[in-house]
Amino acid sequence: MLQNIFFGLSLGAVYSLIAVGFALVFNILKFSNFSHGGVMSFTAYAGYLAYILLFDGKITGVTMFVAVVLVAALVGAVTAVGIERVGFRRLRRNQAPVIYYFISSITLGILLENIITIFASSNFYSYPVFFSSSNIQIFGTSFSIADFVTLLFSCVALGLLLFVLYRTKLGLGVRTVSFDVNTASLMGIDADRVVMATFAMSGALGGISGVFLGMNYSLYPQLGQLVVKGFIASVIGGLGNITGAVIGAFLLGIVEVGLIGMVGSGLMPACVFVVMLVFLLVRPQGIAGKIVQEKA
Amino acid sequence: MDYIYSILTLTGITMIGVMGTYMVTGLTGQFSFGQAAFMAVGGYVSAMLTLRFGLPFPVVALLGAAAATLAGWLVGLPTVRLRRDYISLVTFGFGEAIISVLNNSAQLTGGAEGLVGIPKRVDLPLVLVSVICCLFLVACYKNSRYGRQSLALRTDELAARSMGIDVNRMKLVTFLFASAITGYAGVLYAFYSQYLEPGYYNWTVSAEWLIIVFVGGINSLTGAMLSALVLTTLPELLRFASSWRILIYCVIVLLIINYRPNGIFGDWEISRLWKKKTSAGASKA
Repeated sequence: MLQNIFFGLSLGAVYSLIAVGFALVFNILKFSNFSHGGVMSFTAYAGYLAYILLFDGKITGVTMFVAVVLVAALVGAVTAVGIERVGFRRLRRNQAPVIYYFISSITLGILLENIITIFASSNFYSYPVFFSSSNIQIFGTSFSIADFVTLLFSCVALGLLLFVLYRTKLGLGVRTVSFDVNTASLMGIDADRVVMATFAMSGALGGISGVFLGMNYSLYPQLGQLVVKGFIASVIGGLGNITGAVIGAFLLGIVEVGLIGMVGSGLMPACVFVVMLVFLLVRPQGIAGKIVQEKA
Repeated sequence: MDYIYSILTLTGITMIGVMGTYMVTGLTGQFSFGQAAFMAVGGYVSAMLTLRFGLPFPVVALLGAAAATLAGWLVGLPTVRLRRDYISLVTFGFGEAIISVLNNSAQLTGGAEGLVGIPKRVDLPLVLVSVICCLFLVACYKNSRYGRQSLALRTDELAARSMGIDVNRMKLVTFLFASAITGYAGVLYAFYSQYLEPGYYNWTVSAEWLIIVFVGGINSLTGAMLSALVLTTLPELLRFASSWRILIYCVIVLLIINYRPNGIFGDWEISRLWKKKTSAGASKA
């Protein structure tokens, strides 16, 4: 029981990284960024490559794990900034309707996935094992170390993000632009730079979650489609709300682990769908309770 | 020759599926990532009715489309009231749910191994006739009061509402019509390929249909149909590997979205040629 709750928490931690990466971009540009999934697949592969090419045999254990995560975060940030440049910059200049952003993000997601398929084939790869012993004993119950590390790292990453958002000048800029782009520009904020920084942060989170997903499942091009979990979580939490997204993600993780116990993993997507539908009917504005208005 | 026939038949079926996507996206501006799941519903329901109860093809075709409409109603009713982002999420979840149910009811649907032994009832002429009939229906719908109201609400929901358009009802009606057409495409596919498997209906199919609609231009039914025709036949004929094909699609879409946001055809419709002639004729008279 305790073990299951813990597993749910660690799953929720990964989902919360995805959901926050998703919510960050939603916050600023007011659209659901599906290219985030592509970034996640891409970085998961990048982490794997970094392990094979750079770190294999030289460092081990926790150091290697940290190194792989850092590389993935860096690659994620760069990829996301690139995506912004290719996919959204021009749309923002043209003040295109939201649906174009949406289509552009989906297309970029599919594009990244297929680039991976072409260059790395659609085979499954298993991620390196970072920790020699897989379980630790606390109070007579054994917990998986991978879950523990996932939870720890996710919390650190989220804490860092919240610090940047609420304690730095850059974060103030992000919050201002998410309030209103034009007013922000009038106040002397370089909106382009803020948007780029947001994408970089979102990409870095995507990179970390990519590595965790690769560890939990195995490595395959469609790995990034798990971005939907982040989407569901941020809908539950209230679209664009960071704290809401984190709460929603942890809830989703625990509910999923519970459902796997009850109905098995095969029917789990169907059950999650029903839960989500009921939730949307009862409380469409999400837990956080602020509904984002479509701009007229 | 058989090969060309089969490509044409499959292209026809894709065109009908794209019509459904065109209605949801082009008319009401919503994104359905589960459109292929309605195809699955139509296909599986009709195939199972034939296999279990031996009902004749025209009856099961109707029932298949009806089942897809019912599924569309279940999905659409709660979502049309919500933000546009939600409908894509809900349809996506619906698609995944349908696949997981199909995979996990092996006794009934054959599970992941697929449903075999469906009699062949569909050939190229029937598909062609179906394409023309559906195209006619969709074109009429676009020009009807319903279609115009849908277009109005796509452009600006608030303004449409203030003009007295029942926005939610309009979205639902269009969504249901689209589900029925997509369900029918599923029936055609089932009775043409004689074999169904859940994996065929995942969300990438729905996404590919969306891309096709966008390449043609979301304002133009003609554009959507021509791009469906070209984008599904050409790669088959030139035998591109499938991931390269999708890669090229994606690049095309990105170029179009950035440099020609209304798609290749803009809002041009083929019926304009004919209309221009008649109006010229009328002014002469």
